[in-house]
Amino acid sequence: MTSTATGRQAPAPAREASASAADRTRSTRAGGGGRGPRPSRAFASMLPRRSRWSVLVFLIPPLLLYAVAVLLPIVQSLFLSFFRWDGITDMSFVGVDNYIKMLTRDDVFWTAFVNALVYLAICLVLQLGGALVVAGLLTALPKARELVKTLYLLPAVISTVAIAFLFQRIYALEPVGLINQLLEWVGLGHLQTAWLSNVQTVLAAVSIPEGWRFTGLYMLIIYAALIAVPKELEEAARIDGASWWQVFWRIRFPYIRPVWITTTIMATTFALRGFDIPYLLTNGGPGQSSELLTTYMYKTAFVHTDYGYASAISVFIVIECLIAVGLIFLLLRRKDNS
Amino acid sequence: MTAPALSPTAAPTTARPPRRRRRRGTDSGSRRLSVQRTLLTVTVILIVVVQVYPLLWLLMTSFRTAADFAGGNPFALPTSFTLDNYARAFENGDLLLNIVNSLIVTLGSSALIVVAGMMAAYALQVLGFRFSGLVRSLFLLGIIVPVQIALVPLFIDYSQVGLLDTHLSMIIPLAAFALPMAVYLFSSFYEYIPREMYEAASLDGAGPYRIFTRITAPLSVNTIITVVLVNSIFIWNDFIFANTFVLSDGLKTIPLGLQNYIGAMGNTDWTATFAAVCVTVTPLLLVFLVLNKAMIQGLEGGATKG
Repeated sequence: MTSTATGRQAPAPAREASASAADRTRSTRAGGGGRGPRPSRAFASMLPRRSRWSVLVFLIPPLLLYAVAVLLPIVQSLFLSFFRWDGITDMSFVGVDNYIKMLTRDDVFWTAFVNALVYLAICLVLQLGGALVVAGLLTALPKARELVKTLYLLPAVISTVAIAFLFQRIYALEPVGLINQLLEWVGLGHLQTAWLSNVQTVLAAVSIPEGWRFTGLYMLIIYAALIAVPKELEEAARIDGASWWQVFWRIRFPYIRPVWITTTIMATTFALRGFDIPYLLTNGGPGQSSELLTTYMYKTAFVHTDYGYASAISVFIVIECLIAVGLIFLLLRRKDNS
Repeated sequence: MTAPALSPTAAPTTARPPRRRRRRGTDSGSRRLSVQRTLLTVTVILIVVVQVYPLLWLLMTSFRTAADFAGGNPFALPTSFTLDNYARAFENGDLLLNIVNSLIVTLGSSALIVVAGMMAAYALQVLGFRFSGLVRSLFLLGIIVPVQIALVPLFIDYSQVGLLDTHLSMIIPLAAFALPMAVYLFSSFYEYIPREMYEAASLDGAGPYRIFTRITAPLSVNTIITVVLVNSIFIWNDFIFANTFVLSDGLKTIPLGLQNYIGAMGNTDWTATFAAVCVTVTPLLLVFLVLNKAMIQGLEGGATKG
């Protein structure tokens, strides 16, 4: 790809190759891309010279890929969400009817929405809370930190299908799975249940594997931020009599706030798009008790082939993600100012 | 971290030490510290066991006989050792074919991500142009937007151009959704390539294309490794795109192949399934363990720079 592009662009490099040192100084002065302080303009080239063509040659292929698979589908979904279409018969324009149905007449949608929020909450507690605690402990561990990091990250390497198999057995009642066995040993045998068919436990049961899987990832990121906190700050606080807890919340945590925002956004958007594990473990059941917006959208599209309505749901999921990210920025940034 | 000369011996797991008291500085300091340290080590070990035991259990189960698995205590150590499960795993499924398909998809997407990511980052960070801010925010959108939005439109588009049920149908969206993060990682690395280097090359008559192939791309090796490793995990394990766009058995990747082990009426051959899981996890696990350091550094660095 680059070679044909270069061929097409032959004049430009040739012209540049023939440029003399005198040309260079001129272009540096004119282009503002030379050394010294960065120009205050919105764009700055690191090269002394570049042609407009070269920018397009480098930018168009990646942008094309991105447009075809990400940008265009977003627009298409928006478009489709105003139609009723089963993929075979003609599309019929229904205006905002899909959205009205979704927001006012569809109970399953709201069940799925609330479930998705619970799923998000469980994932965030496990991933961010767990990650922060373990990262904090790890900074105090005298040795074997690398080993702990590797072991802790291990579940992130396993595919969701394998994880679904694994947790199906862990939650099982007949034959007795790991959790029910554990309950019996600690004398809580009366709490034994089939975690995935019990309406009351199923949502938590499908959320926990997702949380478990990625704690290691967030722990690594937070750990890296924690060990970058200047030791002098902690020492000074400790000499002033601050407890471990105070050092953690007053010194370390504020220092890692930017990383905390990044990980919170990562974890939130990942949890809102969570699909694999609930889909594979229970397929939303029993009833709708573990249905998430994503699984509901998937079934609407590919089981009921209601493309218009499925698109409306997926547009809702996108809006939900954007709002979530906006909220995180708003909440975590504001604290920064106070 | 500021450890005085304490011997960090293995934690005595037998007797759990009493809960740490909240009072400060009354006990003899060093004894309190060693109790704390022991408590810390025990806690970390417990957490790691919770995190890793399920995987260990999976591995152990794959060596059990079916009878041993069905009967009784799931925590028990295997009473017998058998490789039968692995033989059955290969018989019942197309494990090798699945692995080949996963390799094609992973390599194809990774190559696309790296090339496209470097090119976009080069245009944005090194060449620079008037609307680079706009392009950057377009890419940011792709980090936030969930992949599910693309399923229905891509399914329709693919069926119109005949791309449904091909390797490419998985490679394109996998690469495209990973592109923003790659562009971001490459950009933040290109920021640190000194301007003087480009100026020297320019003096020697190199244009933007030669500078890219001779300077920028070769310097990116470390970032390439990070990008490939991190994305490989997600691509190798991708379920949703494969499940949506692939129908024929010959194209199934590992996650889809594993699903074949669920028998009719839920009569799953669990020990063989777990053996299959172990086989399919192994390639990625080996890469992960060998390149563990590079990956951990990449993850840490990539996120903390933000």
